[in-house]
Amino acid sequence: MNAAVLPAALAPYRAAFESARHGDTATVRGAAFEHFVESGFPSPRDEAWKYTSLRRLESRRFTDAPVTAPGTAVLPSSPAGARVVVVNGRLLEAPGPDRAELHGIRIRTLAQALADGEPQSALLRVPTGGGTERFAALNAALCADPIVVDVAEDARPTGALHILLLASGDSSMSHPRLLVRAGRGSSAQLVIHHSGDDAAERFVNSYLEIESGPDSSLRVYRQQAHGSRTFLIERIEATVGQRAQLTVHDAELGGSISRLDLHARLAAPGAAAELNGLFLADGARHLDAHVRVDHLAPGTRSLVDYRGVAASRGRAVFNGKAVVHEGAQKSQARQVSRNLLLTPGAEIDTKPELEIYADDVQCSHGATTGQLDPAALFYLRSRGLDESEARSALTRAFAAAVLSRMDLPAFAEAVHAILDDRLARILETPA
Amino acid sequence: MLKIRDLHARIGDREILTGLDLEVGAGEVHAIMGPNGSGKSTLASVLAGRDGVEVTRGTVEYLGRDLLAMEPEDRARAGVFLAFQYPVEIPGVNNAYLLKAGLNAVRRQRGEAELDAFDFLALIRDKMKLMQMDESFLNRGVNEGFSGGEKKRNEILQMAVLEPKLALLDETDSGLDIDALRVVASGVNGMRSPERAIVMVTHYQRLLDYIEPDVVHVLSGGRILKSGDRTLALELEQRGYDWVRAEAGAA
Repeated sequence: MNAAVLPAALAPYRAAFESARHGDTATVRGAAFEHFVESGFPSPRDEAWKYTSLRRLESRRFTDAPVTAPGTAVLPSSPAGARVVVVNGRLLEAPGPDRAELHGIRIRTLAQALADGEPQSALLRVPTGGGTERFAALNAALCADPIVVDVAEDARPTGALHILLLASGDSSMSHPRLLVRAGRGSSAQLVIHHSGDDAAERFVNSYLEIESGPDSSLRVYRQQAHGSRTFLIERIEATVGQRAQLTVHDAELGGSISRLDLHARLAAPGAAAELNGLFLADGARHLDAHVRVDHLAPGTRSLVDYRGVAASRGRAVFNGKAVVHEGAQKSQARQVSRNLLLTPGAEIDTKPELEIYADDVQCSHGATTGQLDPAALFYLRSRGLDESEARSALTRAFAAAVLSRMDLPAFAEAVHAILDDRLARILETPA
Repeated sequence: MLKIRDLHARIGDREILTGLDLEVGAGEVHAIMGPNGSGKSTLASVLAGRDGVEVTRGTVEYLGRDLLAMEPEDRARAGVFLAFQYPVEIPGVNNAYLLKAGLNAVRRQRGEAELDAFDFLALIRDKMKLMQMDESFLNRGVNEGFSGGEKKRNEILQMAVLEPKLALLDETDSGLDIDALRVVASGVNGMRSPERAIVMVTHYQRLLDYIEPDVVHVLSGGRILKSGDRTLALELEQRGYDWVRAEAGAA
């Protein structure tokens, strides 16, 4: 397809692609861009986008945004000097090499990694499949400063590495990209914090690739707190090695439309993934999480526990899928999706799926959607709690099962604070 | 303290209370007895303000106020307490949180300062000892995994902490073994005071061996058919309820 017959909706992306300098990666990026153009935006007929329409995103004309220094309001408190700050996909700040608590963690840009002689094929991949393949390709084509984080073999840094992905500017689009590689036997914690304000519409198309080496343990704490006019599409593609453990704690709290595809491939015997999530679709927010685990080897284990709360005109979608492939005997896959509707206009669609091609496995899944228990609500009120206090207590209790597992205190506290603040606002106006 | 006049209430299409009159003064302990389906629990629900029961006629006056116009939490703050027949389990909401939030809501209403964590713990420890409850209960979810007896003790603990003016006990004796009944009864007896009224709703007279009422009422068909002193309860125990109904029918 040439530029002359390009659909109007894709023109801004073509313009952004043509104005960027790609250097050594031009070929890979060019192919990725053509892949995006051929695919275009998904239509509602596309099963993976059944409940999430991108019409509004498609109609906007976003432009590639330069780095603008973020205001302190959107710069969340995190240990200065021990964090990576990425604004509109460009690296603004990185920790110095001498941080004792981050010992064993190496942070480079894609350009530095290429200069160090690493092959492009390992650094700038486009995943295949899934509803967000086209956007992952777009990311590969347009990402400005991909960040490569390596945890050295057997390294056990005592502190968590904070990566702030900030969006700023008017009608801006950005394509933040991270590659995280946990070396054999390492153990590390990573906080990924998406943030932005409500001042303008923006499009953030983010891609995160994780490679967990044998016997490694990686805990990822993801907080999505974009402004309520931001469109976010994020793909997280993780490959978990032999006896390695990947844990993701996900708090989806922001955005206008936010779509997350979280894929974990349990690629070698004994690999395990625990994926915990909480989403809060309040206001007019639309949140869509597609979580997929592939069991590709024997003795692999997965636990997916996502809890959703929707209020006002909020809408949430959860699609969980576990695939136990042929030969992945003695594997365990558990999936839980629990959902709470706080007000009558809210909606949650949940679809847990299991596909099993091995005969000696333990699998379970369950999904529920309901409202606060009127008997519990009355009980609390009869003890003197006012209605909003009682509803807030019961909603926090609902989220507690997932929140209590978020074992990084600073992260858990931040999520609690946002949740409390939002619940207070939701419950101010009784249903 | 409590004046109920000609109270009619229904659940769905079913008329449950059909003209109930009751007056309870400060310092008094009343027992309301009656067969299953007579409207005992519905009466307790109406007084506590539970949704789903519709009052179609009559008035309920509490300390000079229109009780039926008050939200459940406002009733609690004004000193009305219902010990539930079936206390609900609320995993994830901590017992201590509920006790403290409830107590401070009541204290604000009374114009008293809220208790800080230290004073609250000191107060709660005393009351828990009284109810023979282990402190570990504080950090568990409200009634979560409690046995029947533990739930009832927890209700009386809440009552002891909130110090209501009007305590309603809905079938508090049901499901209790004799030891638990003694603990619960001594908790309730410890709350008897000239400023406080207690109304017990019960199916059996057994509870009245432990908590002696000043007045006993027979509730049947949604109305109080007969009132008397303690001896009425003993008579009901021996003769059942039919004779009261026959008497009322003849009158």
